[in-house]
Amino acid sequence: MTLTRSEVEDVLFQEAEFLDSWQLMEWAEMYTEDSFYEVTSPACSDPYTADARNTLFLISDRIDRIRGRAKRLLKKTAHAEYPHSKTRHMVSNVRVVEADGDTTKVRANFAVFRTKEDNSTIYMGEAFITLLETPDGVKIQHKRCVLDINSLYNQGRLTIIL
Amino acid sequence: MALDGWQPTKLIDADAEAGSFRVHRDAYRSDEVFEREKALIFNKCWLYLGHQTELKKKGDFFARRVGGRDIIFNLDKNGKVGAHYNTCTHRASKICREHSGNARTFTCPYHGWVFNSEGQLSSQNAKTGYKEGINDDGHLNLKAVERLEEYRGFWFVNFNPKAISLYDYLDDGRDAIDALMDQTEAQQVILSGEHTYSINANYKLLCENSYDGYHLFPVHASYFDYLRDQMAGTPAADLIDATIADYSSNGAVRGLGNGHAILDSYVPTGRPVAQWLPSMGASVKPEIEAKYARLVERFGEERANYIATTQKNLVIFPNLVINDILSVTVRVIEPEAKDRIRVTAWAMGPTDESEELRAMRLDNFVSFLGPAGFGSPDDIEMLEICQTAAAHTPVEWSEISKGFGPAEDHCKVTGAPDDEVQMQAYWTMWDRVMSGEVTLEVE
Repeated sequence: MTLTRSEVEDVLFQEAEFLDSWQLMEWAEMYTEDSFYEVTSPACSDPYTADARNTLFLISDRIDRIRGRAKRLLKKTAHAEYPHSKTRHMVSNVRVVEADGDTTKVRANFAVFRTKEDNSTIYMGEAFITLLETPDGVKIQHKRCVLDINSLYNQGRLTIIL
Repeated sequence: MALDGWQPTKLIDADAEAGSFRVHRDAYRSDEVFEREKALIFNKCWLYLGHQTELKKKGDFFARRVGGRDIIFNLDKNGKVGAHYNTCTHRASKICREHSGNARTFTCPYHGWVFNSEGQLSSQNAKTGYKEGINDDGHLNLKAVERLEEYRGFWFVNFNPKAISLYDYLDDGRDAIDALMDQTEAQQVILSGEHTYSINANYKLLCENSYDGYHLFPVHASYFDYLRDQMAGTPAADLIDATIADYSSNGAVRGLGNGHAILDSYVPTGRPVAQWLPSMGASVKPEIEAKYARLVERFGEERANYIATTQKNLVIFPNLVINDILSVTVRVIEPEAKDRIRVTAWAMGPTDESEELRAMRLDNFVSFLGPAGFGSPDDIEMLEICQTAAAHTPVEWSEISKGFGPAEDHCKVTGAPDDEVQMQAYWTMWDRVMSGEVTLEVE
């Protein structure tokens, strides 16, 4: 069954809320066992079709590393995010682009604001998301973030989850 | 915090008998020191520009900033590698505004001067006003960088026309590069995609960090926790703690001359060339073992073992890092100010590996390295808190003494993997160049 835009937004807004409140284990629970969370590198010539198996990405996590990322970021020894930065995820321009059975493909624009100490930076771009309807509710099977930047020169690093 | 009457040699305080090696924090926090470094270090040393394999076809180019200078790195129409300053010889405009691409010619957007791929001026876009033969001496061609040389595909520039050759400059660093390039009989190539990011810290802090065995377990505790989780229930589960226990007695840090140094260590991440671990999965075992066997045939057991199993963190003075660890990264550090650097990092791999092993190599890379990995960002945080604390406290000296003692040449000393003799080698060279004791020029 095709999810409506409103149903898709509920999922994406829930994800944003988990991330902004640092409920990262709950965030990881939103992903399926066969899921991917990816962020392409700004230098990638075709970030929409690029394959992390032959191109260097910024992030290419399967479920074990999705959980590992969440778990690590909650530790005091994840120095890059200690003390935790403040983040605000804005998700907009949500479009349902394709639906097939339990699968719904979505595009959405995002802007994530991060403040670490006294510096605030923005990560902006477009997310390509595949949602899967399961008996446990709607889960994320694939999320690829394509940043509208040419380098992380202003942001420095990418230690939060987009 | 510039010092009055600053003396270059006063920034290093070494007493070998007392085992004390100290670096004055003005070396990290002073604008005046940074200005002198630009003139003395970055204008005299060989600086990494790019790798031959990035230039795949004639006309391919990259616009890069190296040592504060904007350079076009390209393969001209005759197949020759070029390095020219990215400025029109007419009235200064930048002629190449793209990061990379393929071009037969470069046309200045301001008045339409056209330069061919060899940098020669081919048109001034003007029917009148110029005397014929105005460029007979070639002074209006794009200005070539003073020196451009390569070693095993790694192209470097030097802004000093009188500089010693790259070959001599690299000294024993050549052997470390050989150990990487000899991994394959095919070709080691820069893979697609790159990491470009910034750090609010002095460039030397990142050099120190890049081959620092001492910081590994404190800073990367959360990464090792992650590895433990990944290996839980496999035969490799005890490897992490065994490695931590043996780390300082297994491997070495070695000064390679001219400020270059390497950390050779053992960390159980597995290596695509060529050390198989159970955590890599059974399917790649035959390929990795075949690579190892071939290395033994080519180089003998001892060298093959070194090439295949040692984790190597190499710093080529003053700002190139080549880490041949769980994956291979080539990382260049471009200083912009005393407390600000731009970092560009690439992945490297051999052309003769399977799709599966290539995927594993890249997966290893992003698991630890880069601005979103589980390792490098924690390093970056350490460098930034070092920089800010050095800038905002009056404490004068940093202590880099671990493993320090009497030696014939502190640029060629060996120590334990968690010693600091590689940094002593770096700083000794830095001091020699800054003081003028070493000119790096042909006599």
